[in-house]
Amino acid sequence: MQAKAKRYPEEAARLLKEKPQVRTAVTGATLHFERNRLKAYGEIDAEAWRERAKAVKNHLLTHLDHYLELAEKRLRENGVQVHWAETPEDAHRVLREVVARHGVRRAVKAKSMLTEELGVNPLLESLGVEVYETDLGEYLIQLLGEPPSHIVGPAIHLPLEEIQRLFHQRFGTPLEASPEELAQVARRVLREAFLTAELGISGANFLVAETGTLALMENEGNIRLSTSLPRVHVAFVGLEKLLPRFQDLGLFLPLTARAATGQRLSTFVSLLQGPARPGEEGPEEVHVVLVDHGRTALLHDPEAWEVLRCVRCGACLNACPVYRQTGGHPYGYVYSGPIGAVLDPGLLGLEEAHPLPFASTLCGACQEACPVKIPIPKLLLTWRHRAAEEGLSPAWEKAAMGAFLKVMASPTLYRLFSRALRGLPLPQDLLPLLRAWTQGRGPLKPSPKPFHELWQTLKEAKEEGDGG
Amino acid sequence: MAQMRVALFITCLADQFYAEAGVAAVRLLRALGVEVDFPQGQTCCGQPAFNAGHWREARPLALRNLEIFGEAEYVVLPSGSCASMVRHHYLELLPGNQEALALSEKTYELSEFLVRVLGVERLGEGLKGVKVAYHHGCHALRELGVKEEPLLLLQNAGAELLPWEAAEECCGFGGLFSVKLPEVSLAMADRKLTTLPEAQVLTSTDAGCLLHLSGRLAQKGLNLRVAPLATLLWEAYAGQG
Amino acid sequence: MEAKTRILARVRRALKDRPKALLPEHPHATFPEDPLDLFLKRLGENGAEGHRVDRAEALALLKELLPGFPGAAFGKGVPPELRPPLPELPPEEAPLGISWALFAVAETGTVALSAEDGRRTQLLPPAHLVLVEAERVYPTLLMALSHLGPLPSALGLHSGPSKSADIGQVMVKGVHGPGRLMVVVLI
Repeated sequence: MQAKAKRYPEEAARLLKEKPQVRTAVTGATLHFERNRLKAYGEIDAEAWRERAKAVKNHLLTHLDHYLELAEKRLRENGVQVHWAETPEDAHRVLREVVARHGVRRAVKAKSMLTEELGVNPLLESLGVEVYETDLGEYLIQLLGEPPSHIVGPAIHLPLEEIQRLFHQRFGTPLEASPEELAQVARRVLREAFLTAELGISGANFLVAETGTLALMENEGNIRLSTSLPRVHVAFVGLEKLLPRFQDLGLFLPLTARAATGQRLSTFVSLLQGPARPGEEGPEEVHVVLVDHGRTALLHDPEAWEVLRCVRCGACLNACPVYRQTGGHPYGYVYSGPIGAVLDPGLLGLEEAHPLPFASTLCGACQEACPVKIPIPKLLLTWRHRAAEEGLSPAWEKAAMGAFLKVMASPTLYRLFSRALRGLPLPQDLLPLLRAWTQGRGPLKPSPKPFHELWQTLKEAKEEGDGG
Repeated sequence: MAQMRVALFITCLADQFYAEAGVAAVRLLRALGVEVDFPQGQTCCGQPAFNAGHWREARPLALRNLEIFGEAEYVVLPSGSCASMVRHHYLELLPGNQEALALSEKTYELSEFLVRVLGVERLGEGLKGVKVAYHHGCHALRELGVKEEPLLLLQNAGAELLPWEAAEECCGFGGLFSVKLPEVSLAMADRKLTTLPEAQVLTSTDAGCLLHLSGRLAQKGLNLRVAPLATLLWEAYAGQG
Repeated sequence: MEAKTRILARVRRALKDRPKALLPEHPHATFPEDPLDLFLKRLGENGAEGHRVDRAEALALLKELLPGFPGAAFGKGVPPELRPPLPELPPEEAPLGISWALFAVAETGTVALSAEDGRRTQLLPPAHLVLVEAERVYPTLLMALSHLGPLPSALGLHSGPSKSADIGQVMVKGVHGPGRLMVVVLI
């Protein structure tokens, strides 16, 4: 996927101005998810679960070479074909080969953020393959030609009316068709696709090294269908998606469900061991593509490596008051919201994504939501610090910071500044800042006198023995 | 027992925009038998620069404050965010610095100091029947863990704390965030204000949040008193006005 | 092979100076409630229908539960004596699938279905009835996973009817998988 993360500030402003309905839809949906999460965390010893999940992932990541080799071995024993991909091109090569060998004309896809990273859909289309996104939300945005705006709810930015219009144009349903009726239309179209596709494509929530088990979570049944009906199943798995032991699923499946949607477990979980055995229904051929695409570089980072614990539950998006205003599109890359703001600079390079760590007030709500305790605010600060050190701040900000330090480091200048604030023309460096402030909030109204001047009177009052 | 002494760190925003909150804090602390110093030369904690990634600019300010407040027994700030800057982030800015550690351990937000250090839970009944909307500043709430203290002090003074579904949500101030991403910042303020209950006064520990919210209120032509927590706590003690 | 070598080399380089983290054990939670009661309660909360019945009376209950179904697809593991007298239809056409569960989980209201039983029957019909033996109901997912024998080629954990709120945040059932889940626990 082409990253447009550098344009976050402009895109966020544009979206708020031109599509205010997105803010309403996203705020409503995320608050709903967030309330469910809080309730679901409240039922368990969330602190202990999250601490344990963090420890398991830290163990995995600090022994990643061992577990990658173990996973490959087990997968092969299970009859799965394993591929390693450093780049999207490596991943594409696997698909090209599968498509050619099986004469694939049609593919059904289960929602996967990694396949967005890798540009799987455009590749398949260029090979003449008809691609169906089968997660309902993902199908909607595929019809609209939009990228997902949320890790778990890719279409949460779409108000019902927009979907009604889309289906009316596309399938001739009445403009006032109910969500129920619209879903039935999608079910019919996609059922046909499931039954005729030669290829099923998925990501993975987890890959258990000990047993070579792929674990996938969902609520619709489309992942089970995509991995059960077509002759071939190709799963793309980020290196960080491994878990050491099968029993770790006993923690990670329910914890991720609680974090993502507030469920005790997703409605459907697929635990896949490989191709169908003799006499069974299921794919004849299963491929697992282990994908790096920037992950080993992140693992190398002494601070940001912790983001590799991420299980892609979207809880931080739901908790984030900044994300809630716009949804994911302005972030300009696959991963949006708080996790995107700390993950994307690692995957794309800071140069390509430097506005994203600034898309936060550092309110800390994300960190409380995260099921694997990624210290998101701390990492936002880390990336901001690096951005400043690398000179990526806008010129006005550098100038303003210089002026700020000068004023604040000198009580004399600070007093002058105090007086300037109350009448004199303000330093030119600060003007763009002032404009940006006053446009939505009116003029600044300083106290008649600053406290440091009032202190004199307070001090004298005290000396006269008047405490009150 | 010797009289307790605190150094007031007013911090730049309160100094300039909520000077009366500083006065209120001094009067209140004195009334509770605490000697208050106001170390000269103090300006800003450095948070605006630190949060924006400009640690080079923030560091000299942190070092200045280590010197200015080095001698103090306690440092009290009428601001949750700046208190958290001194308590938590100076340690990141100046790793291994023993003076930073010492300052961290004696720094408190005002309501936190009253309840946790002084053990004061009742100030008076000066807020009897006043309908208050309390905005939890994010750093007070999530970094300092100051949540119950302000509520307790307000409630015990007779204030009626109104339920507010967005009370714990960020207001969108965020320091430089408010001017780097002004549209998003204002949308966040609007979410706070559209859910705001019918209060007589809106309060918080943090001057930045209040400056942002009161500006937005005025811009929308809404007339509501906005007062820093310190001001209300003094009213709780001394009666209103 | 080359990509693998390079990736592993980068991983090892990245981890060279990183302290190794320990792997924690998972404590088994104790559940005071009767797992069967909890299981049925959770199924209800998940939007599924749960029943318990003596094995001897199971067929009678099934007949009662399934009026109006003109036929069904059957999982391979459903014992002949528990098959309701309905014409067998292919899963693509059947209005109902009847499956035999490998196990169930009380805390999450989940039935676990093996590929051996037949994946199409579990997924294609709009309604799904699952039979599970009471002694195969585990209190927690962790316990169930710890007691699992050789893993089937695919294990599907179903905890309710297929659902989605992707259209305007309105919950809709039966999007792709079965929109109705009935579970009968055999005692």
